[in-house]
Amino acid sequence: MVDEGYPIGGGRLGQLIRDFDWAGTSIGSLAQWPQSLKSVTQMLLLSPVPIVLLWGEDGVMIYNDAYSEFAGSRHPALLGSKVREGWAEVADFNDHVMRVGLSGQTLAYRDQELALQRRGKLEPVWMNLDYSPVLDETGRPAGVIAIVVETTEKVLAQRQLRESEGRLRAFVEATSDAIYRMSPDWSDLLHLDGGTFLAHAHQSLPEWIDTYIPVEDRDRVRAAIAEAVATRQPLELEHRVRQLDGSVGWVASRAVPLTDEAGDLVEWFGAASDITEQRRTNEHLRLVINELNHRVKNTLAMVQAIAMRTFRAAPDLAVAQEQFAARLVALAQANDLLTGERWAGASLREAIDQAVRPHQHDPARCTLDGADVRISPKTALALALAMHELSTNAVKYGAWSNETGRVAIAWSVADGQLRLEWREHGGPIVVAPARRGFGSRLIERGLAGELGGTVTLYFEPEGLRCTVEAPLAAVTVE
Amino acid sequence: MRVLIVEDEMTIAFLIEDMLIDLGHEVVAIAMRLPEALEAARRVEADLAILDVNLDGHRSFPVADILAERAIPYAFATGYGALGLEGAYRERPVLAKPFLREHLAALIAEACG
Repeated sequence: MVDEGYPIGGGRLGQLIRDFDWAGTSIGSLAQWPQSLKSVTQMLLLSPVPIVLLWGEDGVMIYNDAYSEFAGSRHPALLGSKVREGWAEVADFNDHVMRVGLSGQTLAYRDQELALQRRGKLEPVWMNLDYSPVLDETGRPAGVIAIVVETTEKVLAQRQLRESEGRLRAFVEATSDAIYRMSPDWSDLLHLDGGTFLAHAHQSLPEWIDTYIPVEDRDRVRAAIAEAVATRQPLELEHRVRQLDGSVGWVASRAVPLTDEAGDLVEWFGAASDITEQRRTNEHLRLVINELNHRVKNTLAMVQAIAMRTFRAAPDLAVAQEQFAARLVALAQANDLLTGERWAGASLREAIDQAVRPHQHDPARCTLDGADVRISPKTALALALAMHELSTNAVKYGAWSNETGRVAIAWSVADGQLRLEWREHGGPIVVAPARRGFGSRLIERGLAGELGGTVTLYFEPEGLRCTVEAPLAAVTVE
Repeated sequence: MRVLIVEDEMTIAFLIEDMLIDLGHEVVAIAMRLPEALEAARRVEADLAILDVNLDGHRSFPVADILAERAIPYAFATGYGALGLEGAYRERPVLAKPFLREHLAALIAEACG
């Protein structure tokens, strides 16, 4: 007779077991079950933990509600089936389990990975598996009981965490920035990966301010920290920093507060980019712009001076306008010469050549003789303007006012002195002018003053001669 | 009034000279380089000096110091404007280049007033 009352309760599986046709299995009908089988079945049905009993040599499966959830769509067909058939894809694994269990031994697996057929395909699944033998009335192992806890979610979460940590490590290694962690009140540097430019701090470093922040920026850094801690807002600051090589550089630092579930500050996580080069470039640019502004103003003042002088005593406005334009062109060309050399100095030969060439295209009528010397920008400018004045004078009254006259420009360096001579010959006979104009004043007093030397004009009958003598140190590039 | 001009650009030096003469002053010396300017500052008898700040890359402040020791008033003329000055020199009158004759007249009044 079937005992209608067995097994007692046991939820849906209790009902299924009561209704199942056990006579069609190797275990036989419920009424014939040995007491040991009945006791174990009753026990597992009352357990909230997923448990399966594999009974007999075939491992006929009896399990509870919790296990049925793990079995998924195999349930309810799984009930009463042979384990090797019910879990065909892991038959080898279960063969081993049955062999070991029925020999009286236990098995335990933690986060054991098995590929199970789920949702129509093989999926990796992780489980904690504990197998123990179940003894029958004779004391011999007659089955194996298994507690099966799926850990797939936990394993995947851990794997994700590991990958995420791996990515963070890769990020810290890939970036040239320094990456740091600070205690909630910034009193302790927990860790610092110095990137390419700061010393690493792999252990807690309470004296980090003294180590990394130069004295002049400490108050500013402390104030920014106090503000960030009080408001719990990200800290953002550009400040000086002592670099790996001992020099002082600049960083753009940004740190965000990290909080726990309770909302309490746990630490600050920050990154500091090396902006030393950027600051240097900006500073250089600022200086260049200042300098450019100065030069523009200065050049405008020179133009003003030239205009005043040219128009002041001019008997003829049209002539004065032409003179003015020519002087501006000479000034502009001298500027070209300098910008071509980025204001770092110019070639003496080029400075002279550029000033005189527009007035005399025939090289035979204007010779330049001397070893080239690098001269300072100011010297080049002054010399070019003086050469322009000498050239216009030569075109109007001197060697270049006829078809054959020549100008020889020669210079030499000896005893720390630069000596330069402008000598005209073959022109009309020269008479000294009654009045010295702007040109001769510019040449004699101006050039002499700028070069720190002496400049003399000789109005000799056979041709105008101009000598320049200046200390080399004053005219060359330092 | 006797004036010393320290200005490294010859054309501008002559411009200032012309303006000063027009204003009825006398130019006692023009120095275009730092060594000459230092020498002039020690030597000249002047009632006022007008100093360019940048003399071919050298600041003219040592010249100003000598003038101050000798109690000769001075003012700056510079393309940098007041920005090119530092420290106590900021207290002195400044003429920003380029400038007009009346600006120069006002500067002289301020420097000597």
